[in-house]
Amino acid sequence: MAQQAAAARELATSPGAPVWSEDWLAVVAGFAIFLLALGPLAGFDLLGWATGPRTWVEIGQAVRPASPAYAAVGAPALIAATYLFVLILMSIGATLMGASIGRFVLGFTVVYWLAYLAWVIGSYAAIAATTPAEMARLGIGWSLRLTGEAGYLIALILGLAIANLWPGLARALYPAARPELYIKTAIVILGGFLAVKAAEQVSLASTLMARGLAAIVEAYLIYWAVVYFIARKWFGFSREWAVPLASGISICGVSAAIATAGAIRARPLVPIMVSSLVVVFAMVELLMLPFVARALFADEPLLAGAWMGLAVKTDGAAVASGAITEALIYGDAAARGIKWSPGWVVGTTTTIKVFIDIFIGVWSFILAYLWTRHIEPRPAGAAFGAAAIWQRFPKFVLGFLATFLIVLAIGLAASPPVLKTVDAAMGQANVFRQLFFLLTFLSIGLLGDVRQLWQEGIGKLAAVYVVSLFGFVIWVGLLISWLFFHGLRPPLAS
Amino acid sequence: MATDDKRPRIGEEMAKMPAEPLLPIEKKLIAGSLIVGVLLLALLVWTGNSALSPTP
Repeated sequence: MAQQAAAARELATSPGAPVWSEDWLAVVAGFAIFLLALGPLAGFDLLGWATGPRTWVEIGQAVRPASPAYAAVGAPALIAATYLFVLILMSIGATLMGASIGRFVLGFTVVYWLAYLAWVIGSYAAIAATTPAEMARLGIGWSLRLTGEAGYLIALILGLAIANLWPGLARALYPAARPELYIKTAIVILGGFLAVKAAEQVSLASTLMARGLAAIVEAYLIYWAVVYFIARKWFGFSREWAVPLASGISICGVSAAIATAGAIRARPLVPIMVSSLVVVFAMVELLMLPFVARALFADEPLLAGAWMGLAVKTDGAAVASGAITEALIYGDAAARGIKWSPGWVVGTTTTIKVFIDIFIGVWSFILAYLWTRHIEPRPAGAAFGAAAIWQRFPKFVLGFLATFLIVLAIGLAASPPVLKTVDAAMGQANVFRQLFFLLTFLSIGLLGDVRQLWQEGIGKLAAVYVVSLFGFVIWVGLLISWLFFHGLRPPLAS
Repeated sequence: MATDDKRPRIGEEMAKMPAEPLLPIEKKLIAGSLIVGVLLLALLVWTGNSALSPTP
């Protein structure tokens, strides 16, 4: 368990951490990229050099910059500039979090290039091309139709292979394997990207948000209660174990397990051990559920996206599952001549996840109140107040809301040409959003040493997880998603 | 790796876990959550089918 526990410690957002917690760093890093991306609105192209792959047949044509203005610059220089920018941004963050900068830079360099390699491989035409027209243009007769986001799966498998075949190398990369930091940064950037979509389709976006409220009810009042009951009654877990376990399985993995364990004064090792399990199971879900969603909901992409948000635990794995689900379903639809507007599935998953995250502090407060008053009365002065709710509030949500609302306000007030500029600006930021997704996938894989976790005696904890997840959480999530998202479809791409 | 050997293992912690029967307050928490949750979901389904549908 050493690896997962160490990783979970790194993943955890410590409730008592100083200002530069992982959440705040994600807000600052994501917002910095977002502000630079808005440059075109003021006539400056500040991020157009950001370079990622496009669907390719010849490796020499595999990448291109976000802005055509940089098309004349050589690809190696652009790729190096993109790497250096992300490296500097994340190294500043690692320094502020107290990490060893040398180990971080070394680990991050390896993680980054492996992730980028996965991205390039995933964009190979035989894997990524979706429509017959695209295949004809590229001169290929067949494709897996996974879109370029197949790179996410390749990154995950690469990370898993390293974790399980070369655990020594995985350990060396731990300082840079920070899936929660990467995904939270990506979510902050994603806010602006989704707001452009929302500005174009206000009614549908409002409906999705309103129906997302069901996720909060389901996670806290249905899932949590049932998993807590199963852990306590069927498996005989003590309260100290059952609370973080129920929170980890029901709410949002690592953050919720740690926050609620703190609320009931569990020993710190308990949520760390639970978090180890959450990370491994989230990875299993990530590898499995998007393909089930593809098989079940080929014509209901938003329903599938909502299901990922409700069923897959940890922000990283959930949003990543939404991205893969979108790639799979959109790829199949494109082959049938249906081209939906991108971003709506992952946007639905993110909305669900963010809504659930917002209430972690409130739920911790409710548990702390019950434990203080009725279960383990504490001495006067040891109460759990509003400040503790704020401490447990996931701050990256503020970054997501800020980028979303800023772009939504601009988008709603803008003329069509300005909206097009905003769309292009968010497209530049999207290169980094995809990069952070890739880093998330690779990091999740690196933390997934299943064999060692099993040797540590994880069996009983895993049994509760398996029973709850596969016997209840996934299927109730499916039912609720169907009830609230059935019949809603993304707009067609213009 | 020496520090790893002193680290508590999950299996050992599971074996040490005390038996704690469900208290009445825990039963109330579970039952109350489920009742309120189902009622709220029913309310949201009802409003979702009427007020929360997208307009063309």
